[in-house]
Amino acid sequence: MKQRLESMLQEARSAFENAGSESELQETRVRYLGKKGELTGIMKGMGALTPEEKPVVGATANLVKEELESLFQARNEDVRRAEIADRLARERIDVTLPGRSSFRGSKHPVTLVTEEIAEIFTSLGFGIEEGPEVEKDFYNFEALNIPRDHPARDMQDTFYISEDVVLRTHTSPVQIRTMMRHAPPVRVIAPGTVYRRDSDITHSPMFHQIEGFLVDRHVTFGDLKGILTAFINQYFGREVGVRFRPSFFPFTEPSAEVDIQCVICRGAGCRVCKNSGWLEILGSGMIDPEVFRSVNYDPQIYSGFAFGMGLERIAMLKYGVNDLRLFFENDLRFLQQF
Amino acid sequence: MIVTYNWFKELVDFDFSPDNLADRLTMAGLEVDAMEKIGEGLDSIIVARLESVDPHPDADRLTLCIADSGKDKFQIVCGARNHKAGDLVALARVGTILPGGLKIKRSKIRGIESDGMLCSEKELGLAEDSEGIMILPPDLPLGKPVLEVLGLKDVRYELGLTPNRADCLSLVGVAREVGAMAGNPVRIPDGVPREEAPDAASLTSVTIEEPKMCPRYTARLIRDVKIGPSPDWLARRVESVGIRSINNVVDVTNLILMELGHPLHAFDFNLLRGGGIIVRRAGEGEAFTTLDGQDRILSAEDLVICDAEGPVALAGIMGGENSEIQPETTDILLESAYFDPLTIRRTAKRLGMHTESSHRFERGVDIQMAPIALDRAAAVIQQVAGGRVAEGIIDVYPFPVKEKKISLSARRTREVLGLELDVLEIRSLLKSIGLDAEILSDRPEKDTLFVTVPTFRHDLERDIDLIEEVARLHGYDRIPLTLPTGRLISHRAPFRHRNADRVRDLLSTTGFSEIINYSFVSPRLWDRILLPAADERRRNVGILNPLTDEQSVMRTTLVPSMLETVSRNMAFQSKDLRLFELRPVFFSSEGEDLPHEQLRLSVALCGRREPEGWNHEDAQVDFFDLKGAAESLLHLFRPEKLEWDSAISEPYLHPGKSCALRANGKLLGFLGEAHPKVLENFDIDLPVLLLDLDMDALFSSEGTTSVFRPISRFPDIYRDSAFLMNESVSAGEIFGLLERKKNRYIEDVVLFDLYRGKGIPEGKKSIGIRVRYRSAEKTLTDEEINKAHGKIVEELCKTFDAEVR
Repeated sequence: MKQRLESMLQEARSAFENAGSESELQETRVRYLGKKGELTGIMKGMGALTPEEKPVVGATANLVKEELESLFQARNEDVRRAEIADRLARERIDVTLPGRSSFRGSKHPVTLVTEEIAEIFTSLGFGIEEGPEVEKDFYNFEALNIPRDHPARDMQDTFYISEDVVLRTHTSPVQIRTMMRHAPPVRVIAPGTVYRRDSDITHSPMFHQIEGFLVDRHVTFGDLKGILTAFINQYFGREVGVRFRPSFFPFTEPSAEVDIQCVICRGAGCRVCKNSGWLEILGSGMIDPEVFRSVNYDPQIYSGFAFGMGLERIAMLKYGVNDLRLFFENDLRFLQQF
Repeated sequence: MIVTYNWFKELVDFDFSPDNLADRLTMAGLEVDAMEKIGEGLDSIIVARLESVDPHPDADRLTLCIADSGKDKFQIVCGARNHKAGDLVALARVGTILPGGLKIKRSKIRGIESDGMLCSEKELGLAEDSEGIMILPPDLPLGKPVLEVLGLKDVRYELGLTPNRADCLSLVGVAREVGAMAGNPVRIPDGVPREEAPDAASLTSVTIEEPKMCPRYTARLIRDVKIGPSPDWLARRVESVGIRSINNVVDVTNLILMELGHPLHAFDFNLLRGGGIIVRRAGEGEAFTTLDGQDRILSAEDLVICDAEGPVALAGIMGGENSEIQPETTDILLESAYFDPLTIRRTAKRLGMHTESSHRFERGVDIQMAPIALDRAAAVIQQVAGGRVAEGIIDVYPFPVKEKKISLSARRTREVLGLELDVLEIRSLLKSIGLDAEILSDRPEKDTLFVTVPTFRHDLERDIDLIEEVARLHGYDRIPLTLPTGRLISHRAPFRHRNADRVRDLLSTTGFSEIINYSFVSPRLWDRILLPAADERRRNVGILNPLTDEQSVMRTTLVPSMLETVSRNMAFQSKDLRLFELRPVFFSSEGEDLPHEQLRLSVALCGRREPEGWNHEDAQVDFFDLKGAAESLLHLFRPEKLEWDSAISEPYLHPGKSCALRANGKLLGFLGEAHPKVLENFDIDLPVLLLDLDMDALFSSEGTTSVFRPISRFPDIYRDSAFLMNESVSAGEIFGLLERKKNRYIEDVVLFDLYRGKGIPEGKKSIGIRVRYRSAEKTLTDEEINKAHGKIVEELCKTFDAEVR
């Protein structure tokens, strides 16, 4: 019986060695080690053995079984490794074929610019406010120190809905509405749509602005310069030069126009900056005491600054868009570039 | 406003280069919009003497000249006939590019070399038209640039002045600023005419009936002038700042206008009926012809200058045809007045008139300049047109204006600007532009100034205005940057703003492109989307003064603009479109001051379902693509009790492929395929799917914050069943039934198959449903599920007259 075991072991060893695939190995394993396999067949003869022989043969049988099991495991490992290597060698795709894509959407460039500017100002502690696009003359003009029959009204050609209602010509009425609702301190930006009765290659009758203002005790013109310079550094980059120069707005005093070094020619002079090397991007100033009076803030206690910028203009500079009209033609070939 | 470098040089001492001056003006708040260097690059046009002028041997009409530049001799062939040997001429040497763009080259003309060109005034850019070449005055130095020796090399600046700086609407005004930069005073040109008897007051008179509208009126009478062309210096001077030369008297009034900023008017004295002036309000409806030939109908708001019989000028705006200076005029009455800015502005605006004169009076001229300007004008007229100036000046000035006094605290100046300046520094800054300031010795720390504002600075009324001047004169650039400090506050963006951001984020990341259309449209669009006459969207908010009919009413719906956008893109062969617009619409609201602004979302979908590609099926979008997009959007806000109701729809949608969308019974909007007639109206030849939602309604129906439900740790079991049903049974009804049955183990239900066609009888459809069961407490057994599922199948068959396939 021991001999039978040994010859079976010999036979099984070579059978495992020769099995070339996982399935052949399994078959081999079943043939020798299975419930109805050869080892079981041999062991059925155990009953005929003497009590002395039994433990010896049993031990041998166990050794044979262990050896075959581990041989199977090792061979199985080899075969699987070979099979995987073979599969990896065979399978090939063309990774340069286009992906299974979906349509790509886009936000309007004006939205993108608004979001980024708002994000910078909210990081500086400003909140966001909105106001109506159809606005009372009072909020759009009167409360902002632009009385009727004042030449300053000529600066903004106005669409009228009725004698006292206009399409807002700037986002500044949001200043008034916000200050009437909140006591100082206030720090707010107000993005929105505005309208002016002017349409040509460089003017659109509808466009977008973002307004910002800050009112507190002891706010200075130096603070205005500091905040706006911080914004410009964030948005256009630290290397871009900034200058503040005197200007006029009825609702600020002192007033300042803010220029940045031309982003196209870096200040050397080009068509975009009309050879000046500078681009006007912001109007700003210290909020006029008259404005504070119309919202019942005490100008002896509080001071503040306000600023506003045209978002299409910023978008044109940011993305190099050369025609204002593109923003409202909604050509997919334009929109999908953003 | 145009100013020139050479003119400044006469008025104030400074040594800034033309470029530097431009920079400084801009930084002083007088923005230089454009700068033109006249005569730049023309230094190669030099003064030369014609040594000889002979006929061209081969051409009768040409001359052969030898020109001497003092150093070299040039042989020139010239086509003009007005020159002779000995004349000084303008010789453009080879290489010169003339103002018209012509480049002078060495050339052969009829066989003879020409080494340059003799220029005409026109070719030099000095005149619109000229005959022959320019013959220069005989005493000019040879070889020097012509434009330089004629004093015509100049720099012209175009200033974009802000409305507050009326004082800078003159050369003297801007020169005052230049003087402040250079630390030198401005020289105000003046002049006094030679007077002779009789007294002007004995010949004419001025009566002001409306002293509020005309606080001051000065006049002089000049007789026996000779109207004619202006001398060169005068014509060139007014032309240098962009005013056309007309005749000597008119040119003088324009000279003074530009130089001193004071508008003058000259009447033909012999055309003034009665010989005197009355300043009064116009009669309501009074007719008057201004000197541009236009008939004007006046109102009682308007101020007119009248003679004994009626208006002869529209005060401060334009003279009348009836008293205009003519070539044969001999006696003139010269007016120099001050009119109330508001009066002039109202009249000019109402009549749609805008003149150099009205521009200045509207913004406020210097009341004290009136007699100075008048005297200087009379003196210059006398110089260029002769004439006898009657003795004395007529000056009606009933209530002399006092200069404003403003006190300014140096402490407050420092506080507003964030700049360390002491009271003496502030005083010297203000003095540089002519503002006298004395330190008030009775105030603490001697820190307050008492500032006298001259009458030419109407814009300085309060201390804050002076603080701006201090900042401006010190230089905005020299104010240090600081960051504000303050109390923290929370000021979150409004609810609507935050929600709108979420919607834009979702749609733009799921393939939709955002568009922005104008808020104003043509009301004809309501017809094109088939809105019935009674539709509330036709009650739009109109614009009183639209630019065009196409932009005359505010939108009440975004849909037609969306269809226009679709149509325009299709015209450019962009046919796979996924667009959205999130903007307000405007409804007039009774009893409210302002229209109601409602935020709406419009979505359009058309073309392919997936981008064209090797691995994509070539299917077109349908209603369910749009509905899927709508469902994703709704998922952001999770409104409760959603209904897709096909019983009502919009006029612009296909009635069988559209529905209303409700949440909690509230209408959110509509979606569906566009009506074929509407597509035709917009020239669109592909199906378009439209979604139109009231976002304010959606935002306000947002469901409550999600509450966590424990996740089951037990396995699921599912059962698939297919039913043969009548076409009339809707999926909604099936889901509704399953919802109502509320078997506690149902986790979800998927409608996985919908089939019509082969093997299915007409009027029937096959629907495959997968029901997934799971318990939170135990592993479900097959028996439990078979029983539960059997009940559901039985219920479906019974309710909908269906059979299991």
